[in-house]
Amino acid sequence: MAAIELPTWAALAPALILAATALVLFLIDSIESEPDTTSPVLLTAVGLAGALGALAFNVWYLIADTGQNAPIELFGGQLMVDGMTLVLGTIVASVLALVVLASYDYIADDPYQAEYFSLLFLAATGMTLLGSVDSFVTAFLALELSSLPSYALVAYLKDNQGSVEAGLKYFLIGALSSAIFAYGISLIYGATGSLQFDAVAAAVDPTALPGILGVGIVMVAGGVAFKTAIVPFHFWAPEAYEGAPTPISAFLSSASKAAGFILAFRIFTTAFPIEAVATTIDWLVLFQALAVVTMVLGNFAAATQESVKRMLAYSSIGHAGYVLIALAALTPTANADLVLGAGMLHLLVYGFMNTGAFLFVGLAEYWDVGRTFEDYNGLAQEAPIASVAMTIFLFSLAGLPVGAGFLSKYVLFGAAVGAGLWWLAAVGAIASALSLFYYARVVKALWIEEPSQDFEIDTYPVGLYAAIIVAAVVTVLLLPGFGLVSEDAIAAAGALL
Amino acid sequence: MSNPWIAIGALALVGVLIPLGMMSVSALLRPSVPEDSKRASYESGEVPTGNTRIRFNIQYYMVALLFVVFDIETVLIFPWTVIYGDAVDAVGLGPALLPMVAFIGILAVGLAWAWRNGAVRWIRSPRAQQELTE
Repeated sequence: MAAIELPTWAALAPALILAATALVLFLIDSIESEPDTTSPVLLTAVGLAGALGALAFNVWYLIADTGQNAPIELFGGQLMVDGMTLVLGTIVASVLALVVLASYDYIADDPYQAEYFSLLFLAATGMTLLGSVDSFVTAFLALELSSLPSYALVAYLKDNQGSVEAGLKYFLIGALSSAIFAYGISLIYGATGSLQFDAVAAAVDPTALPGILGVGIVMVAGGVAFKTAIVPFHFWAPEAYEGAPTPISAFLSSASKAAGFILAFRIFTTAFPIEAVATTIDWLVLFQALAVVTMVLGNFAAATQESVKRMLAYSSIGHAGYVLIALAALTPTANADLVLGAGMLHLLVYGFMNTGAFLFVGLAEYWDVGRTFEDYNGLAQEAPIASVAMTIFLFSLAGLPVGAGFLSKYVLFGAAVGAGLWWLAAVGAIASALSLFYYARVVKALWIEEPSQDFEIDTYPVGLYAAIIVAAVVTVLLLPGFGLVSEDAIAAAGALL
Repeated sequence: MSNPWIAIGALALVGVLIPLGMMSVSALLRPSVPEDSKRASYESGEVPTGNTRIRFNIQYYMVALLFVVFDIETVLIFPWTVIYGDAVDAVGLGPALLPMVAFIGILAVGLAWAWRNGAVRWIRSPRAQQELTE
């Protein structure tokens, strides 16, 4: 199938392109004549080119079956490229392209734009690499590469108290969870004498040092839970998402979450397969409990919010609970390919619909509409196209069949039922029904309520509008196109097991 | 057939009892001479001025960060130079040289950016300047 023979290192092309783009942006910022005079159009164009280039390589490799029959190993097995790497790369690059496009308008008046974009690309490089890690060392490095720029990006509006506070909280909790993750890795190394994922799985001996191994596994799970904002490591998420510049909230809640989950899928299927570690610690039970708590807590907390952005932040925690079903339902009776594939599909669809919803909030902030549900009253009269897109995102997030969110949730819950965990699917369905209530509040405010204020909308920002419309179109198109992508995702999951 | 942990427990017990015993015995025996200079913080014999809550110039951190750049560079370049000759013989010039060129290139981009954006320009603190002239 390979029409062109590329060297093996070219399998990392998506990550390499993102890293190179970050360096080019730094260079542009270094050679400008006066500080902060580079035109935002140039920066956005370079960023968009980098993101679309990475996306093109990912899609090309997915179509050309690169590494999907046998994973491509690089650097002595420290990194690998397989189907799941490419699925994650596609999610990250698509979200990145949307965020770059939207940032053009959102940060138009702010200083340090070149730094903003290059930090964005460094974080995206880390997230893309998280999909291709094959040992705990590279996993930790990629996790840090994606986290450290994120802390700075959350605090980007450095004259805004909320942004700085969010950045500090995110940094402190992130540093704590990195420490927990690193300590967990050291315990696992102590128990198994290895850091490669498959070597760890081979060396797991439930009779020798079961306590150390068990604590190590729980600590690694904790580190991953932080990255994906799973209860009980979720409390940074509402603060960080609310305080951060909205495109960054969109990026963190979609791409960063997807990267964390793909890492979790890789670690818990390759390094700690349940049949090997079940007697030490049964992580199925752990993840089942966490999934239920996360779904319930995320959705109930979202229902009580007054600010739309904070509601989306809590709903993003709820969605982490849905995706966690993919790990929790890997029971021996389950169709494991389908379960994991469904998790990846939900991450993909969620990447578009959640990014779109956050970007609409960014659009509202751009117009100084306000933060609460009431402030959005009657906005549809002023911005009908964006409001249609927002309605699609919200109903798709709730799981109504206007967008692909319906299908990915259906497959996910169906896979859980197939694994014998009907109660987990039932909790998910009830949580989804509850989520419809608070998503519908936004839709009602947009379309039905009378405006409570005079909107002063004089410009319609091109970049934000384009990003929102592209996200909406993809969310809808994934509904008929679901069969195409699901084949790839389920095959990628199958290669893992 | 005694449990080996008994020895550990005994050691822990002795470890706690000895310092507690020494402190209580000296508390009973020593004379009480209250004096101000005993409570002052010790600054290598200097008379302490002000309290400990001083604000440092943020630029110290910039310099520290730039130092890390060179530090890491040195740590990685040193072993590379030691094996460079053998490596060229073993794998050829390109594979031995190019990774290090790429690595230093990335560092150089970072350093150039920091330099261009004034990270090494030492800004005088207006407050310190004012105190100096007063």
